[in-house]
Amino acid sequence: MLDESLRELARWLSHTSLASFMSGAWEWPIAESLHFMGLSMLIGTVGIFDLRLLGFAKRIPLSALHRLIPWGIGGFVVNMLTGICFLTAAADQYMYNPAFHLKILSMAIAGVNVMLFYTTMFKKVRTLGPGEDAPMPARIIGGVSLTCWLSVIACGRLLTFYRPPSFHWCFWC
Amino acid sequence: MLSVWVRESPTMFAFPFILVVHAWGMGLLAGANAAVDLRILGFAPRVPLSAMSKFYPVMWFGFVINAVSGLLLLIGYPTKALTNPVFYLKLLCITVGMILMSWVRRRVFPRDAPLTGNIKAMAALSLLVWAGAIVSGRLLAYTCKHLLGDMKC
Repeated sequence: MLDESLRELARWLSHTSLASFMSGAWEWPIAESLHFMGLSMLIGTVGIFDLRLLGFAKRIPLSALHRLIPWGIGGFVVNMLTGICFLTAAADQYMYNPAFHLKILSMAIAGVNVMLFYTTMFKKVRTLGPGEDAPMPARIIGGVSLTCWLSVIACGRLLTFYRPPSFHWCFWC
Repeated sequence: MLSVWVRESPTMFAFPFILVVHAWGMGLLAGANAAVDLRILGFAPRVPLSAMSKFYPVMWFGFVINAVSGLLLLIGYPTKALTNPVFYLKLLCITVGMILMSWVRRRVFPRDAPLTGNIKAMAALSLLVWAGAIVSGRLLAYTCKHLLGDMKC
């Protein structure tokens, strides 16, 4: 049932105008380049914020680093949009790709993690001055965030090696 | 022998893993550089620029892991890169980017010098060459003509 509707969805997506737009010679590589720039913005801001939570570069006040987060969000938005382009243009290559499943899972964990951060820890850490350590729960959140985003990059880079039907090792596929 | 290992080792830790490390390093090097460049260009003015001197170890770390992983990828498929003009464009972008990175660092840190038009121009150029390095790196996969020896892509 689920498999049937997934196939139906993949078929439908492959007939959208976005899918035909992406089939040009340069659209895909250009979108990929933007996707890599967005990734860099995300890791260069959110990743460094996470490192500060973990105790790296403690001379920087956390509130200063937090002002860079909007650029990371900007990078993420670019990557959502370009990601939707890829997914639409080659839906079957992603839906049945274990690396893609793990990439989505990593993003979901990062999403829950960031909500946890803003609901429980943000007020406590935003006043941290130079040299001050983040409390242990905030450090753990920073570690989880960094791990998730590095995993998102790794899974994204590995997508091409696990295109269906070459996923023999994947027990849930 | 190293070349054959990079291409043919069945473990996850050869070719795919090297690509993953290369993407991580790119994020750190280009991302941290872009953050400093954007700040110099006047975005997010409330971020204390002096605090950003701590970004440089992150950039150097990204550079070192990418120099190593990039060299391994080159050893794995030397013909693929060396016969492609885009590869030399990528190297040029990285070289200019690293020179600008050191130049800007000397000019701006640690004495919080005023951000002259010169420094801003260099920051803008830095953004451009890091974007250029990313684009040319990505295009390597699409402009490849010779994969290995006489083998076509």
